[in-house]
Amino acid sequence: MNIKNVRVPSSPQDVHPNKPGDANVHLETQNLHVWFGKRLILEKVNLAFPENSVTALIGPSGCGKSTFIRVLNRMHEFIPGAALAGRVLYDGQDIYDAAVDPVNIRTKVGMVFQKPNPFPTMSIRDNVLSGLKLAQMTYENSEEIVRTCLERASLWNEVKDRLDASASSLSGGQQQRLCIARSLAVSPKVLLMDEPCSALDPGSTRRIEDTIREISSDMTVVIVTHNMAQAQRVSDYTAFFLSEDGAPAQVVENAKTEEIFKKPKDSRTNDYVNGLFG
Amino acid sequence: MTILQEKPSEEVFTEPQYPWRKVNPSTSITNSIIVVLPISIFALSFFLTDLPGALLFIVIFLPVQILVAIFATIWGISKKRVGDAVLSVLSLVAFSFVIALMGSVLFSVFSRGLPAISLSFLTQNNTYISPTTELDYGGVGHALLGTLMVVAIGMIISVPLGIASAIYITDMKGRLAGFVRFMVQAMSGVPSIVAGLFILAAFILTDVSGFSALTGGLAYSILMLPTVARTSEEVLKLVPKELRDAAIALGSSRARVIMKIVLPTARTGILTAVILGVARVIGETAPLLLTTSNTNGTNLNPFVDAVSTIPVYIFQFLGSGYPTAINRSWGAAFVLLTTVAILFAIARIVERSTKKG
Repeated sequence: MNIKNVRVPSSPQDVHPNKPGDANVHLETQNLHVWFGKRLILEKVNLAFPENSVTALIGPSGCGKSTFIRVLNRMHEFIPGAALAGRVLYDGQDIYDAAVDPVNIRTKVGMVFQKPNPFPTMSIRDNVLSGLKLAQMTYENSEEIVRTCLERASLWNEVKDRLDASASSLSGGQQQRLCIARSLAVSPKVLLMDEPCSALDPGSTRRIEDTIREISSDMTVVIVTHNMAQAQRVSDYTAFFLSEDGAPAQVVENAKTEEIFKKPKDSRTNDYVNGLFG
Repeated sequence: MTILQEKPSEEVFTEPQYPWRKVNPSTSITNSIIVVLPISIFALSFFLTDLPGALLFIVIFLPVQILVAIFATIWGISKKRVGDAVLSVLSLVAFSFVIALMGSVLFSVFSRGLPAISLSFLTQNNTYISPTTELDYGGVGHALLGTLMVVAIGMIISVPLGIASAIYITDMKGRLAGFVRFMVQAMSGVPSIVAGLFILAAFILTDVSGFSALTGGLAYSILMLPTVARTSEEVLKLVPKELRDAAIALGSSRARVIMKIVLPTARTGILTAVILGVARVIGETAPLLLTTSNTNGTNLNPFVDAVSTIPVYIFQFLGSGYPTAINRSWGAAFVLLTTVAILFAIARIVERSTKKG
């Protein structure tokens, strides 16, 4: 086992329910604090995402879940006024270290956004390959890549006869699956998903959930969702974020998804997952 | 007890129908009154008095038309629609006014310029031509080539600079973005003759260069730059932030985000920026008088010696006062307008064909 992947718990909150016998963690945050301007948004977030697992981030709107996942692939710094303290470790290395090139981090930690955002000037095929071109990766057999990625995003059957059509000719749900295929093409180790189904119909949502289950065989997935049922269907672990009375948000509870929904330890988690607030 | 069911209509529809276009017979009478009454009053007052038509139009026609529209709306439709009626009248009047203005400009250029147009007028230059020479000899060929050269040089300088400064403001968001935007805005207020004077003082009076197409192009680029930069900035702002985010999240460098995503997405708008830049300068005369000077022969060397351009050609012959010379000016104005139209059409066709490909 690679020694740098072994985690040393640094605080009581940090104890993470890893899969039995698998201490491999690709991505974790240690004592993470996030500000916008002078306002503290997130406080003391210690979360670890075990390799090839799906973690759902739940919590009321505006509690910093989206901000948190943008921290994980260094997209946070593009927002004016953004600030941050603590550590984000990818494969044991702090991604905010001055020696780290954020462009490399983003090829390993991919992201799917809330609103489908395929490149409108490109065809479906070019959208899938766009990441490889933008990240200047060398690749062969583009047909094979396009096919595999579209199949994994369960879009292949719908578009295989019109790969050269414009991406904007697709429906919203198809566009979102195309965006997932595009993210898969650069073979990230971690895929961050910011409410990927919030604007979609049930059919597309179901397909995307199938895709999430499928890709988690060789990819770590972190998904923000407001849909409790979705969190239960797709995730292995769930972290509950909460900001009380304008105080900075914290992780209230973090455990196996079953435990969060069936026997939560914290009463606030219980209230939230049972729809009593939020 | 059974529920009585109305028998569904069995009418067969084969053609699409537009029920909202049906006109109520009483409304159609009202409509004709709205159209006919104000015009009749206007015509009557025009023929019965000696007052000028423009005055009567504003003092009689416009108020009567608005009042009639208001009363007809209250009587025929509803009080709530009075605002619509007034706005319709005002916007229609404004629209007709603009169309009439543009039409009259085009009409005078066409009606007076067209007689001068011939193959020789388009292809010959001005050597051995005096203001009284018949239109069968000499033409704007040299000036047309000169204008194309000067505009091309202006574009070569101002388009990359303009787009680059727009990218600096919108995508790089550099420290000096606000300052650059302010300077660009200030530059758009530079009078064209000042641009010419600047090039004259900086390049020609210092003997760096003589009069040439290049110095003319430099003066043009000063005038084009603010238009290209401002318009490009506006269209780059329209590229959704989500697309930039998507590209960055895929591990793209910022340069590639701009070159592969932002600029291609904004392509149509950038083309508009370039067209507006060309339109801004192509008829400018003052800066060229100071930088390209004028010549009667054809000069295809952009770096050396005076060159003729269409605006300067128009100016040259208009000043002489002879009827044939003035006809030459109208002919040249026609050529200039047509050139602009052709350039814009080519730009749009190129843009459309690359979009498909």
